[in-house]
Order: sequence, then C-alpha cells, then structure tokens
Amino acid sequence: MRKRVSKAVLSIVLAASMVFAAVPAVMADEITTAAGEDYSDREVINLWFWGAEPYAQEAMKALLVDKYNASQDNYQLVVEFRPSVDADMTTALAANQGPDIVYGSGPSFVMPLVEAGKLEPMDAYSEQYGWADKILQPYYESGTVNGTLYSLVNGVSTMGVFYNKKVLADNGWEVPTTIEELEAVMDKALEAGLYASVTGNKGWQPVNENYASAFLTHVAGPATMYKVLTGEESWVNDDVKAAVAKTKEWWDKGYLAGSDYVNLNFSESLALLADEKAPFFIGPSIAFQWAASYFTDDKTENIAFVPFPATEQVPDTTYTLGAACTLSINANVSQEHKDEAAKIIDMMMNAEFMQEMTAAWPGYWGTPLKDLSTVDTSEMSYLSSSFVDVVKSISDAVNQGNFGYYDNVFFPAATQQRIINIDEVWFDTISVDDYVQSIQDEFEVEFEKGLVPPIPKPSGVE
Amino acid sequence: MNQKTRRKINWNYFLIAPALIISVSIILVPGIMTIVYSFTDWNGLSPNISFIGLKNFQQLMRDGIFKRAIMNNVIWTVMFITIPVCIGMFSAMLLLNRKKTRNFYQLAFLIPYVLAPSVNAMLWLNIMFSPVSGVIAALRNMGLDISSPLASMKTAIYACAGVDIWHYWSYLTVIYLAALRQTPQDQVEAAMVEGAGSWQLFRFVYLPSIMTTVKMMFIIITIGCFLAFDYIKLLTGGGPAHATEVLGTYAYSLAFGSMKVGKAAAVGLVISFFGLIASSIYTYLTRKENMI
Repeated sequence: MRKRVSKAVLSIVLAASMVFAAVPAVMADEITTAAGEDYSDREVINLWFWGAEPYAQEAMKALLVDKYNASQDNYQLVVEFRPSVDADMTTALAANQGPDIVYGSGPSFVMPLVEAGKLEPMDAYSEQYGWADKILQPYYESGTVNGTLYSLVNGVSTMGVFYNKKVLADNGWEVPTTIEELEAVMDKALEAGLYASVTGNKGWQPVNENYASAFLTHVAGPATMYKVLTGEESWVNDDVKAAVAKTKEWWDKGYLAGSDYVNLNFSESLALLADEKAPFFIGPSIAFQWAASYFTDDKTENIAFVPFPATEQVPDTTYTLGAACTLSINANVSQEHKDEAAKIIDMMMNAEFMQEMTAAWPGYWGTPLKDLSTVDTSEMSYLSSSFVDVVKSISDAVNQGNFGYYDNVFFPAATQQRIINIDEVWFDTISVDDYVQSIQDEFEVEFEKGLVPPIPKPSGVE
Repeated sequence: MNQKTRRKINWNYFLIAPALIISVSIILVPGIMTIVYSFTDWNGLSPNISFIGLKNFQQLMRDGIFKRAIMNNVIWTVMFITIPVCIGMFSAMLLLNRKKTRNFYQLAFLIPYVLAPSVNAMLWLNIMFSPVSGVIAALRNMGLDISSPLASMKTAIYACAGVDIWHYWSYLTVIYLAALRQTPQDQVEAAMVEGAGSWQLFRFVYLPSIMTTVKMMFIIITIGCFLAFDYIKLLTGGGPAHATEVLGTYAYSLAFGSMKVGKAAAVGLVISFFGLIASSIYTYLTRKENMI
C-alpha cells in the first residue's frame, strides 16, 4: 500500500516538474518575440529567416520586429530563424502554407514558386512604395518574371578579397590589383608555410558556387555570360571552359585552403585570417558578418576588402552581382496580411534601415538602393563602415554596367546545382569539357521552360 | 449468435480504425504518391505535372552519381553488418558476467546513441576533424603532416561511417546483452561442466541461443543502411565530389537543390526496393524457422 502511495506521489511530482519546466520555456518565447510587450491579441505576421548568429538575431528583433510592432496596434511580426529555411519554405508553400513574408535564397529560387502561383505579384506595392525608382535596376529586374515583380533583393553580395593588412605588411606584400599579383602573393604565402587563402565549404556545400561565379565573371567575362544566360550562346564555349579550368588550376595549387577546404567554414576561415595564418580570405562580401566575431580589440582594423582583382579579360573593377536573400509575399494569405507584409518589406528597403542594421550587423544588409548618400557611417564601427563602402562601390559599378552574374541570383535551380558540383572537376571525377556540357544540358531544359530570371545587360554588350 | 458476432466484428473495426487511419494517411497515401511522382517531371511546386513514363529511371541508370550512391550504400551496409555487430557482440559478452557494473557501462556506452545526430556530428567536426581547433590541428602542431579523412575522396565515406558506427554500436550491445541474458542457464552450466572454453561457450551455446535476434538485427541494420542520411548530410553533405553520396542524400539534393522531385521519388523507390529485399529475406528466414 505504502509502495503504491509513494509511486503515485512520485508520478505527481514528475508530472508537475514537467509542467513547470515547460512554463518558463513558453514564457521565455513570449518575451523574446514580443520584447516584453503583450501582443497576444494581435494577428501574427510571420517571417521565416535563416539561422543567423545570435547577435544578428538580436539586431533583427530590435531594429525590425520591435520597431514594426511598436508602429501599429493590430499586428505583431514574428521572425522564426530556421537553419533549413530553403527546404522548409518549399515544402510549406507546396502545401499552400508557410509564412506571410517569403524568404528566398535568390531570385532563381523564386522562379518555380512563381510558376506554381505561390507568390503574390508585387507591382501594386512597388508603385505604392516607389520601389522601381529607388532600387538598382539590375536587382529590381532580377525579381521580375515576365515583367511582373515577385521578389526584392534585401542585400547585395559580391565576390572579393578580404585581406589581413598586418600579414601583408609584415611580409612586404602589396595589396593585389591583378590576378597575377594575387597569385604571386599566394605562392609566397604557401612558401612561407601559410595558407594561400582560407575558405571552405564545411556544412554548406554551395560555397563552391562562389568560386565558379567569380571566375565566370572575371575569366569568361560578363559579355559572354550574358549571351550564355540569354540563350544566344552555348555554355560549351572556350571562355566558359577557361573559367572552369582556372578554378581547377587554383584548386590544384592549393589556393582554396588546400586540403582543408572541406573542413573549414567561413567562420573558421575568418578566425584563421584574424590569427594571421593566411593573407587572404577570398569570398562573398556578406562574410563581413562573421569577421565581426574575430577581428576584435587590436585586430579590429587588420581586415580590409578589395574587389576581385583585374584579369586580362575583365580589366575594370567589376562585381559579381549576388544577393543576401530575397523577400516576397505569400499568395495564400489574406489581403490584409499581404498589405502588412509589403509594409514590412518596405521598412527593409530604405537607407535608414540599412544604416541601423549595418551598424549592428555588418555585412548582410547592403540594400541595393540607387542612392546611398544618406547612409551616415560616422558613428559606425570600422567593419560596418567598410561594408557600407563596399556596397556604395558596388552601386557605382552597377550603374556603369560593370557587373557579372552570381549563380544563386541568375541561374535556374538545376543549372545552379551543377555549378555547385564544380568540385567534380576539382577532384578529377569529370573533365572540364564534360562538366561544361552537363551544365549546358541542364540549362537547355530550364531555358525552354522559361525558368531563367531576367538577365540585366552589362556594359559592352550591343 | 449472429447479432453477437456482428457486434464483435463492429468492435474490431472500431479498435483497428486508429491504426488503420494513421497507416493509410501517413504511409499508404504518401507511398502511392511517391510511386506516381516517380513517373513524372514534377518540381515539387508546379501544378503542371507531366507523366514521362520510365524516363526518370532510365536517366538514373545512366547517372554516374546514382551508381556511386548505390555503391556507397553497399559499402555502408557491409561496414555496418560487420564492425558494430562485432563490437556490440564482444562488449555484450564482456558485460554478461559483470552483474554489478553492467548497468553503469550500458548507460555510459549509450550516451552517443541518445545524443542527437547533429550534436554528434558537430562534436566530430569540431573536436576531431577541425584543422583550427580539433585533434587534426593538435597533430599538425606536433609536426605531423596530416589532413582530415573527410577531405579525401578515398577515405571520406569510411570517416562518415566511422562516426555513425561510433554512435550506433552501443545500441547493438544493449540488444545483444538482453538476448544473451535469455540463454538457458542450465545449458551454460552444462557446457562449463563439460569443459567448454569462452570461445566454445559463445560459439555453441550463446550464439545459437541469440541467433533469432542476430538475424533480426541484421535485417534492421540493412534496411537502415539504405536509409542512411543524417550523418552524411551533416558531415559532408555528400561531398567531396559525391564521394560520400548515398541514395538518401542524392534524393534530397535532387528534390531541394535541383527541384526534380519526380526524379527524387524514383530514387526513393530504389531505396524502398532494397528495403523490400531485406524484409523479404527476413520473412523467408523466420518462416523457415517457424516451420521447424
């Protein structure tokens, strides 16, 4: 009898402890999503986002979520940070579910969603908020399908060279301005027992696409790539082959972190750069956001960024146009929610938001605006103001037509996947010729289906 | 009598309904849909779906990555039906006579098994394989010219399997130990009286006694090996250059990378086919035993 009573008491204690353990978790969630305010009577506007670092999530909550929630009385914005946001989003939208504001990893991600009728046309909102007038034209166009706007790029990204000023100065190496100079410094770094450059695809295989995109821009050239992407020319041409062969040459020489490429992520790569283990980190400008964790104290100003150096084929400063992400509106939500989603997207598409977010989270929110003159960097940290300089420089180059194409913005899904698989060439499982042919095979099918986003015309193309 | 029987049948339907509804809705319907999609070019989103017959399967037969994925699944299976089985059996035999400390050891061994795959993978990536902070970095600092096994096409699949085996073997230990403890004690004692050594005791008394469990685990391991996904996805994503690609990661990459859900469904069917073969073998073996 006593045994039975003690069992019952134990059960009650266990059940109670489970309930009490759950309560603080629920309460904590409410506090983090509502910043201490009780918004339980408000309708929820959802935004799913990738799993950014904790400091970045805090910045987003403070500068977007809290600001929006405080601006009106009917809705509350809830941002969910999901590491597998791309796969989650596709699955949810396929079932006519998903958040009000649709995150995408680039305009090419948007194309199948538009074809399936999952996204709301945004032309009316564009007119209401004046997006066409204030956003850089190539970026605005990349979000259109058959002339109708479906997505906006929230931040620009481009391939370039981060370097450690101290490593270059200590070794008497100059900041490279041409690819030959860059390669010469990397050779010397290898001789000195350093990494030639640090980078890697640990945990995120699509990192490969950064190098493919950069060499397609700077070796194949924007004019060739424009013709290829508009179907005027085949992928199987000497310029594209030369670009792929150049990535292979870099791989073989160990310029891409040597055998550590598959064991390093961007965060670790920047830690190594900060620790003076390499002169360079060649990667996307969004990597500024990870640099903030390692270039601290007396190392803060050791890092700098230059555009990808000049090549024989592309001598002028040219940027590969990439996107941090795209924002769209779910077609399967109520009209009121669509209107609010557009309002929230507009909050993110202005210079003031870019200034505030870049100050707190450098590297991600390079809003592709035509006019960035109002962005004040005087109060910003070194990293934040460096990033703003990069975005302004990209903006100028784009206005002059000096740009190439990032695969995650301009290539359709299956073609992009073949680009990501460029490591097949690096590891000698396929020849350059066969690899380029395999891209052509995928692209041909997707081009015929109309899955290629609009391709902006660079300078030098008639 | 008739009325009574009818009432009983009605109750049977009522009792079986929850399991039946769940099975139909989350197994049968998606299963049928997967079969149907494997004959289409569906991208996972579009309302326009075209039936393309056997084209997906024909393309897979010519696809080098698909062939490599099958080969990797076979390598994975061979490793899993030998290495963790041997370790698990050996440790179970060792624990069999440790009556006081057995529970402690089981608990300690099971820790990797109860941790989430993402945690285990991060531990190995950061503590073992990392050239910044891991054992690899420490060995390099000691002057050894060494790189991570994940970086080589020749070793990456074995490195991934090693991590998965590290997390899995203790589960087999627990299963085998539970089975070993069911061995009739009089047989054990009789063998010992006859002068049987440890190996003979295992070979002629314990092993025949647990053979049903061993066979069942063999089939479960084989089916699981063709469903392998989590550790490979977390450790290498199928790379480098598809060196660790298995059918599960390839199907995922086709569905969510290339947006070829129809083709991914075809790969899914191939996975099911291998599972079906393993299940059939198990059914055959157990039927033979039941007839004896």
